Amino acid sequence: MLEIKNLHARIADEGTEIIRGLNLTVKAGEVAAIMGPNGSGKSTLSYILAGREDYEVTEGEILFNGESILEMDPAERAASGIFLAFQYPMEIPGVATMEFLKVAMNAQRKARGEEPLKIPELLKRVKEASGALNIDMAMLKRPLNVGFSGGEKKRAEILQMQLLEPKLCVLDETDSGLDIDALKIVSDGVNALRSPDRAVVVITHYQRLLEHIVPDSVHVLYKGRIIKSGDKSLAMNLEENGYAGIIGEAA
Amino acid sequence: MPAVQETIDQVRLIDVDQYKYGFETSIEMDKAPKGLNEDIIRFISAKKDEPQWMLDWRLDAFERWKTQEEPDWARVDYPKIDFQDIYYYAAPKSTPGPTSLAEVDPELLRTYEKLGIPLREQEILAGVKKPGHEESEDGVLADSESQSANGGRRVAVDAVFDSVSVVTTFKKELAKAGVIFCSISEAIREYPDLVKKYLGSVVPQSDNYYATLNSAVFTDGSFVFVPKGVRCPMELSTYFRINEKNTGQFERTLIIAEEGAYVSYLEGCTAPQRDENQLHAAVVELVALDDAEIKYSTVQNWYPGDSQGKGGIYNFVTKRGDCRGDRSKISWTQVETGSAITWKYPSCILRGDDSRGEFYSIAVSNGYQQIDSGTKMLHLGKNTSSRIISKGIAAGFSQNTYRGQVSAHRKATNARNFTQCDSLLIGDQCGAHTVPYIEAKNATTQFEHEATTSKISDDQKFYVMQRGIPEEEAIALIVNGFVKDVIQELPMEFAVEAQKLIGISLEGSVG
Amino acid sequence: MNMHVTPQHTPAEKALIEGYHARVGDLPGDGMVTIKRDEAIEAIKAGLPTRHVEAWHYTDLRRLLTTVPAAATAGNTSALEPLLAGSTVLHVSGGKTQAFPSAQGLSFMRLSDELVEGRGLAALGPTDAADTIGAINTAFVSDGYGVEIAEGVELSAPLELQNLHNGGQVHTRFGVNVGAGAKAVIVERQTGEASALASAITTLSVRDGAEVMYLIVQEQPKGSSHLGQFRATIGKDAKLTVFIMNAGGKLVRQEIIVDAAGEGCDFQLRGVNLLSGDSHTDVTMVLDHSVPNTGSREVIRNVLTDRAKGVFQGRINVHQIAQKTDAKMACNTLLLSDDADFSAKPELEIFADDVACGHGATVTDINEDHLFYLMARGVPEKAGRGLLVKAFLAEVIEELENEAVIEALEAKLDAWFVLHG
Repeated sequence: MLEIKNLHARIADEGTEIIRGLNLTVKAGEVAAIMGPNGSGKSTLSYILAGREDYEVTEGEILFNGESILEMDPAERAASGIFLAFQYPMEIPGVATMEFLKVAMNAQRKARGEEPLKIPELLKRVKEASGALNIDMAMLKRPLNVGFSGGEKKRAEILQMQLLEPKLCVLDETDSGLDIDALKIVSDGVNALRSPDRAVVVITHYQRLLEHIVPDSVHVLYKGRIIKSGDKSLAMNLEENGYAGIIGEAA
Repeated sequence: MPAVQETIDQVRLIDVDQYKYGFETSIEMDKAPKGLNEDIIRFISAKKDEPQWMLDWRLDAFERWKTQEEPDWARVDYPKIDFQDIYYYAAPKSTPGPTSLAEVDPELLRTYEKLGIPLREQEILAGVKKPGHEESEDGVLADSESQSANGGRRVAVDAVFDSVSVVTTFKKELAKAGVIFCSISEAIREYPDLVKKYLGSVVPQSDNYYATLNSAVFTDGSFVFVPKGVRCPMELSTYFRINEKNTGQFERTLIIAEEGAYVSYLEGCTAPQRDENQLHAAVVELVALDDAEIKYSTVQNWYPGDSQGKGGIYNFVTKRGDCRGDRSKISWTQVETGSAITWKYPSCILRGDDSRGEFYSIAVSNGYQQIDSGTKMLHLGKNTSSRIISKGIAAGFSQNTYRGQVSAHRKATNARNFTQCDSLLIGDQCGAHTVPYIEAKNATTQFEHEATTSKISDDQKFYVMQRGIPEEEAIALIVNGFVKDVIQELPMEFAVEAQKLIGISLEGSVG
Repeated sequence: MNMHVTPQHTPAEKALIEGYHARVGDLPGDGMVTIKRDEAIEAIKAGLPTRHVEAWHYTDLRRLLTTVPAAATAGNTSALEPLLAGSTVLHVSGGKTQAFPSAQGLSFMRLSDELVEGRGLAALGPTDAADTIGAINTAFVSDGYGVEIAEGVELSAPLELQNLHNGGQVHTRFGVNVGAGAKAVIVERQTGEASALASAITTLSVRDGAEVMYLIVQEQPKGSSHLGQFRATIGKDAKLTVFIMNAGGKLVRQEIIVDAAGEGCDFQLRGVNLLSGDSHTDVTMVLDHSVPNTGSREVIRNVLTDRAKGVFQGRINVHQIAQKTDAKMACNTLLLSDDADFSAKPELEIFADDVACGHGATVTDINEDHLFYLMARGVPEKAGRGLLVKAFLAEVIEELENEAVIEALEAKLDAWFVLHG
């Protein structure tokens, strides 16, 4: 589903290279965890997948379902099925969350040549998804993410992810700032989305989240490259021994 | 109502250079020769069958106008206007004062249909279907949509085509409530005492250059009188349309709310697309007596000129409300997306004790538009309060200035003002300016003013686009969030349309 | 009124014009300087600015400048105790420079010498039609100091420029160049012993990487008219902090004109205006952000008693190329008397899109909740009010982060409260 080949990318403004020859393949139905110490390029990778202009790809390729996405803008990538759950979701003052959901869902439907959702159908979907995530309707009337607590923001991200039904879900440090109850709710939300035709990339610093969202593969990112891949036991190993050992091994 | 929905649909289809209202209606017109002199004024007055006092007032204004100078303090720049190269009177020929819809030229009615104005009373009465009719039972969608749950609100309409009012609807029903809603020409003939008492009492005959010109040559406009204790049973609305070439439009509107009365008035404006500039110099006067409230909303969408800055309306307007009575309230809400140049400061004179003034404004400029707009809140009475929320959005090569004055007179104890003035820049070829004048002459004054200027953050735009919303829509969405505080002050009839208009006005501003 | 007739000159205009013709022969400078002076007096002949000139909207100089004293100042004044102990003091008395002190890293010159020798010409002359202070000063300037702080020098003692007089008219200029990487604290004092008309212009150049704190303390005697102008340019990565205190004079206009001209530079302005009696005090700031990545903060606090009138005009111009400008301005006023009034015009003129700019202005009474709290703790109302007013002003002084400076300025504050609190 996702193939990243020898990817090199730098900060567009100043030219600092962040991703240095990264290779990664994630198959449909797979949950891949990307772990790494601070500053290894984890968040950058998520931004590049989503098409943020601040980064410039200088070499390599990103294929999504066999097609290059490098020339697509963020909205086109989203409509093609890539969803990024942000580490720090942005506040959009004055735009009610519900309104935003409607606009986003219908924009994607339009891009796929589908009819816009009728309001009752939209509401039905939103209600179902919100219930499971413990989001009440009052929260959806508030402007998107404005004044939301850390947990509310993360739950709103997962709600969007469920409603937009992406093919590839990228979760950037979704566990940061969550207490154990919220972590459980969010993880259940992600697990509910696991399916044979959908891939999930979980970016995290800690193994904690992976106890709830159990990965099929674990990849260690360091200095812009995957330096080790394995199964979920690799995450346990990291938890016990830290990154130092693996980094030393790779060096 | 269906007309608004239709408008929205039309609006979706066009891009920035295709000004939606840029069609021209071919109607036989009755025109006075170009130019301005006493004879033209006499001609206008005679056409309107005016009494001598009105003609004298006009001629007096004209004398004063000749001694005045065009103001140059606003941050706008345009070639000198040749006031002799303008038609001061143009009226559709077949409508020498229609008394019912049946008498109105069908071509004219079609024009208004195109504009999305619901003239036909039966249509309005049948207006159950509202925009956003797919209302949810939870009412959790945007406010603008949930408001429509209130059911079919009715709007009485006065339509002004070039120089004359062509039709006013709902007159009979309003009359039952004691409300007078008619063209100002009719009011001068039918209610001379009311007109004499209030005309020029808020904006004096020779208040400023354009207002004086208006006093001399105004051709039509609306007149509203809501008697003591009456809450006007429906929204009142006027649509202004400049159709003829080289025609100035000089409408004069006078609204009086007696003790305890309430009225909400909406004003919409359009003009066809033309290469030359056209002048619009209106005067609006509002008078609120004790405990009265007037809510005045405008969606101004005059032709802004093309993407190269050619053509467009010069919108030089004097609007002022007088909170003459104690506990009276006047609220201005404006959405300014059109006109090549806007020079406009809807103001409140807070004369009555405990009176309140409000100004909510969205000013969007794109292309080569220039806007210098804002308000004046003059606190004269005791315990008066005012609130100003201004949202300016500049794109393209436009210049967008907020200019506002808040002053507390020496005797205005406990005057309160809150001003929030935010500007958004889209692109680095435009300018956003904030020029407030804050004047306190009383120790008990509490004035708070805040202004910010910023751009749409890349982070916000990226976030919204990541959800699959294309760039232009993403910007429109964020901008609509930015102006939300003002949009929600608009009556439902205008709110949805205003949001769409803002989106359209900004089209072509990214890339 | 017909606009095309030259207005009748007011007595003040007349006195300036006639005074000029009587004195021009005695003013320093060569022929070129005299041409400049002649041009400047022509600008005054056209009439002093009225409120119809936007830059003078709240200070109708034509109406407010009612008297112009005779030119001569009576006798010498001796230097004051410096505001900050141990300062190097330069002293102008009645418009004449005095002996130079000696100090390391500093070099001095006299404006009168410069003018006589045909240097310093470029600095003269009004910058535009609204620059009335520039015009008056150019016409009459008699003397002043030029100060050069050498590159990389960190002044061990503050430098204090005193402009003193004994009445009459004083028209002086200071020019200070702070070399790249240098550091300095500079104090400018404007005061005298009898009422006067003073025009005082300072030009300051803060070169790349330099760091300057510049304090202006204006305490002109009652009845004086003070026309001050401070012009600064700030170089790359340099930092300028200006503090201004106005606590005197009858008619005061203090202009602060700053160009944030070097990338990465920072400008800070803090001001305290203590206004009493029948005075009229106008602080007008024009700040240009003319290159990318510059920052500024301005905080002006005003307290008015009696029949005092106060004005703050602040305009921030962000040029088209000045992306990433971060500029914030605030003006807060307490009116302590029903007969006092204050007008503020904080403007933003913005041509670059990637900026964060803002301003705030408030006019309020003291916070009743705070007062109640103090009274509930046994502080009598009058004392409580005084405490809150002082705290309101001290807040901006404390932001200067220099102990000696804070102490000296707070002492000034206390002194004012003894007289007016």
